[in-house]
Amino acid sequence: MNALEVENISKSFGDFYAVKNLSFKIPEGTIYSLLGPNGAGKTTTIRMVMNIIIPDDGQIKILDQKMDENMKRRIGYLPEERGLYPRMKVGELLLFLAELKGLQGQDARTKIDHWLERFDLTDWKFKKAEELSRGMQQKIQFIATVIHQPDLIILDEPFSGLDPVNTKLLKDIMLEMKKRGNTIIFSTHRMEQVEMISDNICLINKAEKVLEGNLNWIKQQYGKNTIVLDYVGDVSFIPSIPDVEKTDDYGKFMEIKLKEQSDPQDLLKKLVDKIRVNKFEVREPTLNAIFIDKVGEKNAQDTVSH
Amino acid sequence: MRKILSVIKREYIQIVRTKGFIIGTILGPVLMAAFIVVPILVQFVSVDQQEKIGVVDLTDEIFLELDKKLDQKLKDGSRRYLLQEYKPVEDVEDQLEELNRKVLAKELTSYIFIPEDISEGGEAEYVSEHVSDFDGEGLDPEKIGQYMRPVSLTTKKVTKKGVERDTGGTFIISWFLVFILYMTVIFYGQIILRGVIEEKSSRVVEIVLSSLRPFQLMAGKILGIAAVGFTQYAIWGLFGIAATRYSKSIITRFFPAASAFDMPTIPSYIFIYFVVFFVCGYFLYGTIYAGIGSMVNNEKEAQQLVMPVTMFLVVPILLMMFVVRSPNSSLSVTLSLIPFFAPILMLLRICVLLPPFSQIAASILLLILTTILMIWISAKIYRVGILMYGKRPSFGEIIKWMRYG
Repeated sequence: MNALEVENISKSFGDFYAVKNLSFKIPEGTIYSLLGPNGAGKTTTIRMVMNIIIPDDGQIKILDQKMDENMKRRIGYLPEERGLYPRMKVGELLLFLAELKGLQGQDARTKIDHWLERFDLTDWKFKKAEELSRGMQQKIQFIATVIHQPDLIILDEPFSGLDPVNTKLLKDIMLEMKKRGNTIIFSTHRMEQVEMISDNICLINKAEKVLEGNLNWIKQQYGKNTIVLDYVGDVSFIPSIPDVEKTDDYGKFMEIKLKEQSDPQDLLKKLVDKIRVNKFEVREPTLNAIFIDKVGEKNAQDTVSH
Repeated sequence: MRKILSVIKREYIQIVRTKGFIIGTILGPVLMAAFIVVPILVQFVSVDQQEKIGVVDLTDEIFLELDKKLDQKLKDGSRRYLLQEYKPVEDVEDQLEELNRKVLAKELTSYIFIPEDISEGGEAEYVSEHVSDFDGEGLDPEKIGQYMRPVSLTTKKVTKKGVERDTGGTFIISWFLVFILYMTVIFYGQIILRGVIEEKSSRVVEIVLSSLRPFQLMAGKILGIAAVGFTQYAIWGLFGIAATRYSKSIITRFFPAASAFDMPTIPSYIFIYFVVFFVCGYFLYGTIYAGIGSMVNNEKEAQQLVMPVTMFLVVPILLMMFVVRSPNSSLSVTLSLIPFFAPILMLLRICVLLPPFSQIAASILLLILTTILMIWISAKIYRVGILMYGKRPSFGEIIKWMRYG
């Protein structure tokens, strides 16, 4: 069964298409990521799934049903624009949000305590939300999203603003939930996170789907003509080597895409004379490279500068 | 429904706990006490001089009432105002000339001329040597005016019903009630406005909306704050009842002369109408404030939009004097039927002179219909606006929002 089926949805605001003819399916018990540069239409798509924005066209089915108010109980939603009531105490705030999800009394309190402990926030239970750091607030928001053990969890940019420790914690919890059979869909424009945990991806650019499918399968399609080079020295000559199609320099290492039928061995020969090569790896392209390839150089720059 | 209850509970608890609520709730009765006690004290502490007032009463009805009304006593127990009736004679001009002379000769402190058409809008004249002398010594002409209005009106009613009723202090209390209604509608409206803006600017709203509909959130907020209002009113009301019942006995213990002062009583129907008009006014303005809150990003932006709305509440306050003077003029009737003015002006008319029930019913009906319309409009704006950030929407965009849903 599919946890979510989106069929040909479109939404425009005036002359501007936010989402155009978008379709995708998310099998139950998988982690699905919605990728795309800023303004691609990810949040609009998610808001349409959540019935916050009504699509102009198309169908959305959640857990084999049409979305309605009663479905909200089976969904956990972490919006991109998120915050807390600044003057409420953390414990009360979570209790309020849990009540809205249909939890009650002792059951709700036990779950709140469990999650606060899990996120190392027990000491903050009686503090006002405005006293918490942004990262802590984000963890509280996440607790509110999953406290009612939803079947489908929708996270819009869940990692933004989290430090590496908390990013790992969140990632672990997401994988745990997947193991329990929950379905997770999250949006991001940070590729490392996607590569770590996603089963399937959907890449959106300028309101339209560019690429969709199983992550491993997509990478295989791109073939093994990418080289990750760890180096010391001046690499400015590399882009002008005839075999090289594209480069992406990170200062200490470089991702190089070769032209079809080129032999990595030839490239290595040319490199060793001029720079110090610490590592030379032939591999599938990173998702980042695919992203940039698909979305285009100009779009990608917007993303990086963000 | 349970979700709305959760929202109501949250709103209620969050506000009732604030310092502002606690201070306001305590300050209310203090002001009320001052309002009741101070006039009594002022009357009996500062004055020790008898004033002789001549009265020419062409209606032949008001003198008796006025005499009864101005029955305050001096410390030695004699009357503070000694009213002397001058039976009207054929040549009114001559009579008034004569009285003018007496005032100048200080045989009289002042005199009052009551024309026959006083209840149809005619003006009584108050003549004294120092009309503009408001140092608290003399009888304030405005006060006489205040006394005279309800007196002249009630006498008519009294003759019809054959019952006598004291309505003098009622007038002041009515004024007070209308003012409380005005203050609280604005005050609670602002709380709604700030609450909506806080939800929006703190970005908590979309998290909340993942569990309920925008309308449920808006309704819960407005109802929760209404519950706060009723709590505050209940506390004030209890205090008010206690004050009117016991304050006199407490005050007379210290100022025995105060026993002459009648505690104002208010007919219970006024209270019922007060509650009706407060509820209607609150929901009418509350939903508008909620709608405005959803359109803006911060309180500064909100104030520009709130201004014209608040004007709808200020205008009737400015019109109060006019309506009091001629409560049954066609302009007063029309104004009090306009839904945005009705809570204040119709209540005022009810206090001053009970209008025909058909008019009251019409104003309440119009008010309720307008409120329902405003709820419908606000809900449409709210459901889109609450999730829109950035530039404040133009009028055209708001119209477009209303078509989305």
